[in-house]
Amino acid sequence: MRYKLWFGEYDDGSVRISDNLKKSFLNCFNSEPIPFSVSEVGKKTFGDEYYSILRKVAIEVARELVERELKREDRYVIALVRALDEINSSVNLLEEKLEEIREVRDGRLASEFERRIAILKSFRGEIEREIEEVMRKIAPNVSEIVGEKLGARLLERAGSLKKLAEFPASTIQVIGAEKSLFKALSRLKRGKRARTPKHGIIFQHPFIKTLPRRKRGKMARFMAGKISIGARIDYFRGEINEKLSEEVRLKYERLSRN
Amino acid sequence: MRDFQGTEIMHNLFIGSYDGKKRLFTKSGYPPHYGERKIGDLREWMPQRSKLGALFLKGKIVRFERDMKVLYLGCASGTTASHLSDIIDRGILYCVEYSAKPFQKFLKLAMERKNIIPIFGDASKPENYSGIVEKVDFIYQDIAQRNQVEIFVRNFEFFGRQGSEGLIFVKARSIDSARDPEEVYSDVIEKLESHFKILNKGDLLPYHKDHIYIHSRWRG
Repeated sequence: MRYKLWFGEYDDGSVRISDNLKKSFLNCFNSEPIPFSVSEVGKKTFGDEYYSILRKVAIEVARELVERELKREDRYVIALVRALDEINSSVNLLEEKLEEIREVRDGRLASEFERRIAILKSFRGEIEREIEEVMRKIAPNVSEIVGEKLGARLLERAGSLKKLAEFPASTIQVIGAEKSLFKALSRLKRGKRARTPKHGIIFQHPFIKTLPRRKRGKMARFMAGKISIGARIDYFRGEINEKLSEEVRLKYERLSRN
Repeated sequence: MRDFQGTEIMHNLFIGSYDGKKRLFTKSGYPPHYGERKIGDLREWMPQRSKLGALFLKGKIVRFERDMKVLYLGCASGTTASHLSDIIDRGILYCVEYSAKPFQKFLKLAMERKNIIPIFGDASKPENYSGIVEKVDFIYQDIAQRNQVEIFVRNFEFFGRQGSEGLIFVKARSIDSARDPEEVYSDVIEKLESHFKILNKGDLLPYHKDHIYIHSRWRG
């Protein structure tokens, strides 16, 4: 039997040593368990140096993988969304404090305070534009269907573009409504009656928000389906497909008419 | 050591009282890793931060020998791994984690310690690192995933040998958030019993809520 080991290929007792250990370390998939211990064969090859060589290669590979992972653009968007939320709540708090100062003494310091809050507000706009730009690039279909802002928020909740693409549409539909979903599920499991939520954060989309209550569930379900397809195209192919957002718009028009 | 009175309950692992409280330490030639205190050459093991620490402080013993080969699934930023690395100072600790952010911190630990082999990968796919990890004496798992028991068993199939031991931490809510925790736990134990001999089990109160540990031996 042949097995792929991190330092080379094992074939019936002999090992062909890899000429690129980092590459073979990354490529040592074996569908079945190996019947011997990798280190026993390895020590025959490398002797006492075995673990120090393994450790050196493992660390180098891990550092490169982690660096690549951390640089990913979806992580960038997620970090920006979180920063934006933080700035929003800070601005609100600071404005309250400014009012408190003003009530007592509306002087030079208060105006300076106001000016600095205004800077923070305009910086908020800069972050929003950056999010939109990156979202257009990494998730054109999701952006087209629900808009960059909401799309970025879904991405933030999912954790990565990969995860968003792997989510079933029904999950996307209720992202942000976890509390009421799990409450309802646990009631149902106990044999009681309960209603699961119709929508999570996608409710913020005007196509759902502006419909009458009884139609919102329909719209949310439809839209979540299209977002899910869009996220998959975004993750695996990255090309835009205008049909998706067109279908969503048509559905909305049909629902709002009757 | 001034003020510290304790006993060595395992190689490099000390339990005893220090400023009026029962505390746990590992003897370590390395600096603190996660903000823990260092008193002389003893690093305090914070039970709130580490489930294994909580287990030892509760007086439960899961024996690690200093020359053991251990596979650690879900090492995160390496809080527990740092102490385990102190205990098995002549052994090897293979650590698997797939989340980049904590792993970045973990790598700092891996770089200073000669007995840690870091693997950036998914513990649910042992095939992917099957050509790296050897047959081990112990598999430690703390990953809080729905199919964590299956993942545990799968890793034993790849890297366990007759008599290898395992320690798994289970959080009922991450397996099924709607079902009664006790039911979830007994399901888990039933699943484990077809592959393992259960050596010990229990909760981690008061340090970690909603968790149980199961210490077991692989039947092979």
